[in-house]
Amino acid sequence: MKFNFGKWAASRIGSILLAFAVCFLAQFMLRGATDYSRLLFSLAGLYVTLAVSLNLINGITGQFSIGHAAFYQIGAYTGALLASTVFKNMADAANPLWLPIAMVCGAIVSGLAGFIVGLPSLRLRGDYLAVVTLGIGEIVTIIAKNQKALGEAYGLSASKYPSTVFFVVLLAIITIAVCRNLLKTAHGLSFLAVREDEIASSAMGVNLTKTKVTAFVLGSAFAGAAGALYAHTKGFVSPTDFSMDASFLILTMVVLGGTGSITGTAIAAIVLFIVPEKMRDLPPSIAVATPVGVAIAIITSVVILKKIQDNFHGNPYKRLGMNLGVIAGGVVLAMIMGRLLVLIPTFQSTINGQLFRMPVLAVTLVVLMLLRPQGIFGHSEFSWSWVQKVLGKRPVQEVEVAA
Amino acid sequence: MSLLRLDEATIKFGGLVAVNSVSFELNQGDLFGLIGPNGAGKTTCFNLITGVYAPTSGMITFNGRNITGTPSNKIAKLGICRTFQNIRLYGSLSSLENVVVGGFLRHRTTLGSALCYLPGAIKETEQLKHQALELLKLVDLDDVANVRSKDLPYGKQRRLEIARAMATQPQLLLLDEPAAGMNPQEKMELLQMVKKIRDELGVTVLLIEHDMKFVMNLCERIFVLDHGEEIAQGPPSEIRNDPKVIAAYLGEAV
Repeated sequence: MKFNFGKWAASRIGSILLAFAVCFLAQFMLRGATDYSRLLFSLAGLYVTLAVSLNLINGITGQFSIGHAAFYQIGAYTGALLASTVFKNMADAANPLWLPIAMVCGAIVSGLAGFIVGLPSLRLRGDYLAVVTLGIGEIVTIIAKNQKALGEAYGLSASKYPSTVFFVVLLAIITIAVCRNLLKTAHGLSFLAVREDEIASSAMGVNLTKTKVTAFVLGSAFAGAAGALYAHTKGFVSPTDFSMDASFLILTMVVLGGTGSITGTAIAAIVLFIVPEKMRDLPPSIAVATPVGVAIAIITSVVILKKIQDNFHGNPYKRLGMNLGVIAGGVVLAMIMGRLLVLIPTFQSTINGQLFRMPVLAVTLVVLMLLRPQGIFGHSEFSWSWVQKVLGKRPVQEVEVAA
Repeated sequence: MSLLRLDEATIKFGGLVAVNSVSFELNQGDLFGLIGPNGAGKTTCFNLITGVYAPTSGMITFNGRNITGTPSNKIAKLGICRTFQNIRLYGSLSSLENVVVGGFLRHRTTLGSALCYLPGAIKETEQLKHQALELLKLVDLDDVANVRSKDLPYGKQRRLEIARAMATQPQLLLLDEPAAGMNPQEKMELLQMVKKIRDELGVTVLLIEHDMKFVMNLCERIFVLDHGEEIAQGPPSEIRNDPKVIAAYLGEAV
């Protein structure tokens, strides 16, 4: 495939216009929404940015980091400090330029922190790196908790200029676009090569330290920009927002979506954030029979799905049909079991439905590890040629090998 | 003029002397064989040359330049590239992508232009893919360009590793047991291929191999190692009849 400048320019301009259109559309559609749903939407968008940026470190470059919330936090505190010291003293009313300035500052400070942390620690491999990044997450939280300038345990307020949905969506799109661009070029292949085999990559002339640190700094910078937006979205940052839980939530998103897959990570980020949030709406008292019934149904269907996966190797459509049948059967079983178990006195006591928000992540991960350990998307990406292949419209050429 | 020169290169791991003051010299365009019984220190020798280990003492010179203790990635840039005894391909990348990574070390575009998807980076990627495809043709793998490398059969993986190493445009190619696990037919093809690489592309080749027929047919000079020390050096006809080599391989007569 020969490079064509006109085509390139047209597709670039088209993509940029489309990105802005999506941002404006999101802003427009949420103009009448409640503050709560706007907050949920913004947080989901920020989690997409966080998960995709962690995917760059964990999935693409293969450096197992579990302290991503640290860089999110550094960005958030940068944004909050900027709002409470610099923006506050400016005479004029809220200026729309503040948000991008806060984002860039958050990204720079966080990227710098990523560089300082990454340079020594990326010499470690696998488990050791994981432990170091875990420690960094804790260190940052503890520093924030004990510094007067950072508001100690109370946190900082940053409400002068509330964030808009526009910038949240824009940041998510930029993050996804940068990662996708990287993977489309030979530079991205050198990152993947580091993930696949460090010794071979080094023998092929890839500078391991440089590649790893670059990935780490880029990932941290995006997390920092997301943090700055978070500070302005919530109007308030406190150290507890960035505990180990947040790091693990982001990591779970990457694993669920498929390490290395941008599409998968972005989808998993939205699902894993929205589902537990929506479960807050569950009634405060439900009979114990219901969750027990659901648990029985989940276990039964996972066992059957696993059996199908291991023993049936026929027509993929037939297999898909069988899987969907088992899932539908599982839903029916859950309802029947719920109704039946209520008849037993032990299962008639009630429990707060919101409690079940917590096990969702755990159950998702267990099911995932049993049925699809490579994540929902594995290493693959969404592409239009894939859609055409599924719809059977056109034979697919994966890589244009012809010169 | 000598291309690569080892001067009394020695490496010790604790009390174990893996390579003991080994010296040899490779000239431009040589087909040089490195043989010896298991555990003789052949792969360690490769690791010394490619900078995986720095020698405890001694000196390694490449093109008149001291490369002792230079890191692997810089040595690759200087023009030495290798394959591995236990295949080390990028399993989940396609054959073509594997070779593109090999060619990446001479990239000129910056990371920034790749992140912004600027024409320079795209053109370079296209060009690297084009070059990779040519190399795949050389090793007769162009039909599996889009296949994940871990799905390839063993013999093809070995050839792919050579293509990937060739993509770095080396002056010196180190092959670590390239014929291991191949059938006689594949070995013959490999022999032709290595000769072609030397004759047509002018790349100097240093190879480790256990198959004596293969080495004796291919190499013009052979170096024999045992217990980390040199026991013989010379053309195949001499090596074949050297009593020390026979003793090392077959044991001494009682």
